[in-house]
Amino acid sequence: MNSLKSLNPIKLIVVGHVDHGKSTLIGKLLYELGQISEDKVSEIKKSCLSRSVSFEWAFLLDSLKLERDQGVTVDTTQIFFRTKKRHYVFIDTPGHKEFLKNMITGATQAEIALLMIDVTEGIRDQTKKHVYLLRLIGMKKVIILINKMDAVDYKQKRFFEVKKKIENYLNDIDIFPVDILPISAKRGANITENDKIKWFKGNTVASVLDKVESDEKNQNSLLRFPVQDVYRIGKKRIIVGRIESGFIKEGDKILISPSNMESEINSIEIWPRKMKEKYFAGECVGITFKDQLFVEKGNIISKKRNPPMVLQTFRSKIFWFSKEPLSLNKNYQLKINTRSYEIKFLSIEKVIRTDNLLEKEKKIIERNDVSFVRIFSQSLICIDDFETLPNTGCFSISNSFEVVGGGIVDTKNDLVKKNDLNKPFLKSEEFFISEIDRVLRYGHRPGIIWLTGLSGSGKSTLAKEVEKNLFSKGYNTFILDGDNLRGGINKDLGFSPEDRKENIRRTAELAALISSAGFIVLVSLISPYRSDRNEARSIKPEIFKEVYVQASVKECERRDVKGLYSKAKHGFIKNFTGINAPYEKPNKPDLIINTEKQTILESSNNLTNFIEKEFSKI
Amino acid sequence: MDYLSKLENQSIFILREAYKSVKNIAMLWSLGKDSNVMVWLALKAFYGKVPFPVVHVDTKRKFPEMYNFRDKYEKKWNLNLIKGTCPPLSKVDPKLPKAARSAARKTEGLKKIIRTKAFNGIIAGIRRDEQSTRAKERIFSPRDQNGYWNVSDQPPELWDSFHTDYPKNVHLRIHPLLSWTEKNIWEYIKKENIPVVDLYFAKNGTRYRSLGDRDITQPVKSNAKTIDQIIEELSNTEISERSGRLMDNEEEHIFEKLRTKGYM
Repeated sequence: MNSLKSLNPIKLIVVGHVDHGKSTLIGKLLYELGQISEDKVSEIKKSCLSRSVSFEWAFLLDSLKLERDQGVTVDTTQIFFRTKKRHYVFIDTPGHKEFLKNMITGATQAEIALLMIDVTEGIRDQTKKHVYLLRLIGMKKVIILINKMDAVDYKQKRFFEVKKKIENYLNDIDIFPVDILPISAKRGANITENDKIKWFKGNTVASVLDKVESDEKNQNSLLRFPVQDVYRIGKKRIIVGRIESGFIKEGDKILISPSNMESEINSIEIWPRKMKEKYFAGECVGITFKDQLFVEKGNIISKKRNPPMVLQTFRSKIFWFSKEPLSLNKNYQLKINTRSYEIKFLSIEKVIRTDNLLEKEKKIIERNDVSFVRIFSQSLICIDDFETLPNTGCFSISNSFEVVGGGIVDTKNDLVKKNDLNKPFLKSEEFFISEIDRVLRYGHRPGIIWLTGLSGSGKSTLAKEVEKNLFSKGYNTFILDGDNLRGGINKDLGFSPEDRKENIRRTAELAALISSAGFIVLVSLISPYRSDRNEARSIKPEIFKEVYVQASVKECERRDVKGLYSKAKHGFIKNFTGINAPYEKPNKPDLIINTEKQTILESSNNLTNFIEKEFSKI
Repeated sequence: MDYLSKLENQSIFILREAYKSVKNIAMLWSLGKDSNVMVWLALKAFYGKVPFPVVHVDTKRKFPEMYNFRDKYEKKWNLNLIKGTCPPLSKVDPKLPKAARSAARKTEGLKKIIRTKAFNGIIAGIRRDEQSTRAKERIFSPRDQNGYWNVSDQPPELWDSFHTDYPKNVHLRIHPLLSWTEKNIWEYIKKENIPVVDLYFAKNGTRYRSLGDRDITQPVKSNAKTIDQIIEELSNTEISERSGRLMDNEEEHIFEKLRTKGYM
């Protein structure tokens, strides 16, 4: 009776208010389909007997001790079963309010959703919340089961009352249900056959399931290949990842985001051997490029014509699990396309009441809330709009160790989006010549190399040497030196913390401007405060590299090239960094150059190599 | 894509995420059919060489066929094998039923090796269809410093966005085979020609469906002598896979009890 080949099981989720009969439905369905093994049934019977309760089909799923004692489902369970036509996996989910995260965990994996409504209780807030969340995460196939019909003597009128109400709500949130059925899970009415609800001539649960067409997700042909890791195998650098949509083959011309570098797929790498020419969505593959390019986890490889969006600020629809409300002052981590990003929430646009779809008055996002927010990421993120490409448009949010929520990228109807959508490298609407044109002309990416360190640590010397190196190799490069700027553009500023801050702000803006002209800018500036340097980084974080030029105060004093230390020591200079003003060392510099331990030649070679690696010629 | 390829790709994706995101990981190799499939998937994911240690927690009570198998494929697959030891039975909770106590001994052996090697992640080949508490598992599942599983408050797992950031004293159990079924395992073994211990094939009317310690594992009635016959048998059986594992059936919820304390 069974074909030996495993068929593709369709993943189902059952949602709905607590006690509306989710687990009972599954237990009964499996029993009627003859899928419960003998030892399982006897185990359940034994268990019911020991608790002096009548036999419950729900116990089949609720196998955890806690659940049997309390009679509720705690966590997502998966049960495999089959009809004559095909295989299914049931993901049972809990109905308790505090367990929403398990419901969504189950729903993000499912293809079809069954929504249970108790005909005697009608539509409850939780019913609406569940179905709203299903819509949010992109569930398209929803079957509505109006349960416990036995409790109303299988009356047609009662069924239609509830049916009409749920249809109205579904209509409002843009869900078109596959079907709406009257059932009684407990009595086995209209599960696999219908001999109890005489007036109803439609589908049973089993027959409607078999009728739903399973469509392969991600038929979209736009290529999305997020980089998961890079392996060095022998002499090859293999870029591995899973194709999220589209397909690839050797020889394809591709674009890497966010760096905007182009190359060609040299080979597709599969162990033990490659079996075919083209690889499609869902397949994990490795590739090598024609050119030596720097790629890292979270980069997205696409075709040149249809790249993902590369954004720092974007709008999202999120759901929140944490007991702590969302804070606009905190940093969070957002995980998308296998990479984690440091983010902040810029604003809360609205918090939605899922019971009536109105806005909550208070713009506070609490546990189990659904809302629209604007997100700011410290570095550029490659993403897609969820409606267009779901796989590369959904994410989870965490706060160090806790997963606090998740959401989808929703750039539709976003008034501010137009600006964001222009890639920083591709501002072709504003400028005739774009940054990418310059990159192609000059043969390297622009960059800001921020040298920070004590006076006398060797920043200016290093900058000059490195500039010489880069220039001779054909790079466009330019030095912004703190001392020189103070003679001109910053000559109105002194050395108080406020003035130093302004000094750094102007220098950083200048550096960003010059980098926009395609240059690698070497900034040599004491910049003693961490917060100021972070501000400088935030203008163009994707090309900003902080280099800590390290030397002890003692050594700098010994060098005292400009005679400043001696003046400061004798009280002639106030606010002198290292002597009577603080220097905050970088926490996580991109590079450290220790000029006490390295010679000038070594230091400048190290920095030159670093810059070449980061902004290499293409 | 056919279903086995889907499962394979999902598992490779999980293994690569684990390797990239979790420092200092190891894979459990029980020498059973599932863990052989898992080692094979790791060979595929990492281009022919498993880049982390493979741990066999040795109870010294396995079947001789299993030890022979281990020695052969340690070499053939070029594995970095760590052999873990288990404490004497006298040191394990005497209140547990006999077979469960024996299984709990293995838990102690596992915890010891996690402690001494300071592993942050352990890749284990459990499946949802084996046992109903395993059905509740997450793919990336945290355990506290005592190896305990907080089953009623597990982190959400949204899409394939796995959370891997935990405090230092927490270790992760990573389950790349969670969505596979027993039948899938055998179909994949056939498709990929993956070696397994002979004990799985019927001799004199019985075979082992699941391999554990010699003293607490019993064979089931079967005439399935080839992989095809096993697959055929599984398509029609109503007996559950672990029925030969005595520890599962000694008392209600014993398996859950073992698992919350750190069993696989």
